[in-house]
Amino acid sequence: MAAGGENLGDRSGRLVESHSGSNPRILAFYFLIAAGLLALTAGLAYEQLIRSNAYRESERLQTQRRILVPGPRGNIYDRNGRLLVGNRPRFAVVLYLDELQDDFRRESIRIRNNYRATGDRDTPSGSQLDQIAHSSLAQRYLDQVNAILGRSEKIDVRELQRHFAHQLYMPFTLVDGLSTAEFARLLEQLPVSSPLQLYTANERYYPYGSAAAHVLGYVGTEDNVEAEDFPGEDLKTFPMPGTIGRDGLEKHYDTELQGQPGGSIFRVDPAGYKVNPPLEQRMPVQGHSLTTSIDIDLELAAEQAIGDQTGAAAAIDIRTGEVMVLASRPDYDLNAFYPHLTRATVADIEKRGAWLNLAIAGFYPPGSTFKTIVTIAGLRHGTLSPSDTSVECDGYVRVGNRNFSCDNGLGHHGSLDLREAIAQSCDIYFYEHGLRIGPQAIADEARRFRLDQPTGIDLPGEPRHMIIPDPAWKKRVRHEGWTDGDTANMAIGQGDVQVTPLQMACYAASLARDETVTQPTLLHDPDRPDCHSEPIGLTPSQRAVLLDGMEGCTTHGTAKILALPDLAIPGVRIAGKTGTAQYGEHLNVAWFICFAPLDKPEIAVAVAIRSDRPGENYAGGIYGAQVANAVLKAYFAKKGRPAENISPR
Amino acid sequence: MPRRFDQNRPFATLGIIVAAWLILPVGFKALVRASFFELTAPVAQAASYVRDLQEYWSLRLHTESELIEAGRDLARVNASYALSVQQVADLQTEISRLESALRLPPRPHYREEAARVVQRDFSGWWQRLVIRKGSSSGITVGCPVVFTGGVVGRVSEVHTFSSVVEMISSPDVRLAAVIEGDTRPVAYQGGDNPTFGPAKGSIEFVPLDIFAHADSPRSLVTSGLGGQFPPGLKIGDVVRVAPSADGLFKTGEVRLDLRLAELDEVTVLVPEAQP
Repeated sequence: MAAGGENLGDRSGRLVESHSGSNPRILAFYFLIAAGLLALTAGLAYEQLIRSNAYRESERLQTQRRILVPGPRGNIYDRNGRLLVGNRPRFAVVLYLDELQDDFRRESIRIRNNYRATGDRDTPSGSQLDQIAHSSLAQRYLDQVNAILGRSEKIDVRELQRHFAHQLYMPFTLVDGLSTAEFARLLEQLPVSSPLQLYTANERYYPYGSAAAHVLGYVGTEDNVEAEDFPGEDLKTFPMPGTIGRDGLEKHYDTELQGQPGGSIFRVDPAGYKVNPPLEQRMPVQGHSLTTSIDIDLELAAEQAIGDQTGAAAAIDIRTGEVMVLASRPDYDLNAFYPHLTRATVADIEKRGAWLNLAIAGFYPPGSTFKTIVTIAGLRHGTLSPSDTSVECDGYVRVGNRNFSCDNGLGHHGSLDLREAIAQSCDIYFYEHGLRIGPQAIADEARRFRLDQPTGIDLPGEPRHMIIPDPAWKKRVRHEGWTDGDTANMAIGQGDVQVTPLQMACYAASLARDETVTQPTLLHDPDRPDCHSEPIGLTPSQRAVLLDGMEGCTTHGTAKILALPDLAIPGVRIAGKTGTAQYGEHLNVAWFICFAPLDKPEIAVAVAIRSDRPGENYAGGIYGAQVANAVLKAYFAKKGRPAENISPR
Repeated sequence: MPRRFDQNRPFATLGIIVAAWLILPVGFKALVRASFFELTAPVAQAASYVRDLQEYWSLRLHTESELIEAGRDLARVNASYALSVQQVADLQTEISRLESALRLPPRPHYREEAARVVQRDFSGWWQRLVIRKGSSSGITVGCPVVFTGGVVGRVSEVHTFSSVVEMISSPDVRLAAVIEGDTRPVAYQGGDNPTFGPAKGSIEFVPLDIFAHADSPRSLVTSGLGGQFPPGLKIGDVVRVAPSADGLFKTGEVRLDLRLAELDEVTVLVPEAQP
């Protein structure tokens, strides 16, 4: 037993010994494991501690997307708070091309195999195959839309390739301007996870269509929406197209109307779909709204009165200079500009000459309306006396070697004083007195009223083509000397004198206030202070004669049509002056300027209606006066009534 | 060596199967998936029938007086339903008369196909029901599915004797809806709903003049404009709206009917040709 026990003890001792840690081979193995673990630990520490920021950043860039949404533009209201320009949604169905990478590749292979299978030797090149695959697949998706909507739209291949080249990560619009019913059908029938998605943009909306079109202006598309203070500039960003003002108030006040862009940063899953909720989100903020000085009732009255004629009308609040009407015909429907202006619409607008805002860019000789300036010049310089009856109008007067007629040979006014000369618009009277006053005094007087420079109205593109000629001007521009005939022409607002309807409206407003300058504005401010400028400088009696003459014009003179029962405005005395000016090749312009009420002026109006064809004869006392009458009637009809929120007609 | 291979044989087999599956044609895989569903569907259906049988026998265990009482209640409910059916018929006649007077285009007609729910499959990714009717009953993909509380969802897969219904709580379902009393369409979409919890959805393109709050919810119903669902079916209650990022619309949250999680029977609306 003892021996056996000893043997057992020896053997177990050897066994223990054989598994002891002192075995060099085991130790080496331990060392290798320890070294491996150390290396792994070091690697883990390196990746987790040192490289973790880089991985986090990489993960952030891969899994986050940023969408920038331009802020809606501010609205534009008329002076009574009625909406003239607003926003409305526009629905489109778009295709996210960047989600179709594998499909495009498969389509390209399929097309290539088809070519090979048919033995066609003219197999397209790789890039051509890609283009065919793009068009083919996009058309297939469009056909899905066509099937739902019952349409037969086709892919614009060139537009698609351009989109591929420059805007792959932006959605490609397949059908724009969907109706509400079409939008609803697609909403319900397109799979949620389809690359086809519905897209909503906002577009400008003009409840009154073409009313005040030249004043309100329009917007164009702006692709570079920037949101400087929105985080995630390094992320893959999808900016939605914004807008920029291209004309009218939309352009002039673009900075104020522009909204503040908003946006979202989304986490996306490996398939590229958004995972809600957004990590960062900022609401776009609508731009500031504008309240214009335009009164849409008056504007519509003016435009309706002008009708299909070519012309312009401007009406100004005499006290503040706020422009209540700035009508120009022909015009265009602003809603036709969205979603985009078609070539046919552009051609139509161009054909009708409707782009031009005649109220600020229609330059015409002012005709006999200019006689009021000649009168002021004569009275101020003492060459004209209110009671002067020295001029005898027998229809003609000889100036230099030319006979000048009165009212195109129809005028035989006989002996008349200044009042009647203004009321009857006697040319002979003003030829004679114009020659006595002299061209420089007349020109200086017109310049005091700033008829030689733009009004500075808050609209873009007011031209500087207005002309108040004098001898120096003629010598500088025409390189010719001034003649008495030039003075005679100038005295009746003919020759080289050129002004705009807005300038004449400002002049009428200034005349009503007995001042020289009216600064027009298209912004309405109920607390706007009164306009004030240099007084005209007439004595009360001189001013009374001028105003008597102008009132006589509307009661028994050249604009006596306004005294007819249908046109007369009960209780309102109007001071006006007609003008019928010749310009170009046998064309003429019917002018009428006025202000009312005569005893306490509130509104000044200027109208210019022009003939478009030689031989058409437009008389200011008829055509111009009727438009002004429509504006005045609308003004006095609503005067005293509280401002209403009336829906667009 | 052979011994080591034996140890790794399961992995090798698995690898071969995976490789074979990867290189198999797509059509074959689709066939296998469909066949699998057709094979397993009877099992699920059988389980459903067994549940119905179990319920039947549990009801048989009630006392006679309990059954008489239940029968009386049932008769009362049936009577109220009969009255409602009569009222609906009257209203339908009036609607038809008005539609005819206004010369409105005819609306699609639907055949109602009642179906038992075989299986409910709720997860964070999808919310589905399997029902005991399929193509043999004329059901097609896209058919609306309703219950007494309104919309359940729409059919997303159809097999011979069973169909899969994608529920409105699923994020893959989107409908053209309207707020009751309004005519402007809004977009309803199911949300990321937890497996056990109240189902909800979201709405987009809500006009800015629509307001809703949990205390004064607005009812959301189908618009009928989408072409799949008839108008006027209740979807849920709008309990919150807030301005959306584009500033043109609002977005909102919709609370769905709690009974959607415990449906036993639904009705499939199968479109029919005009008479």
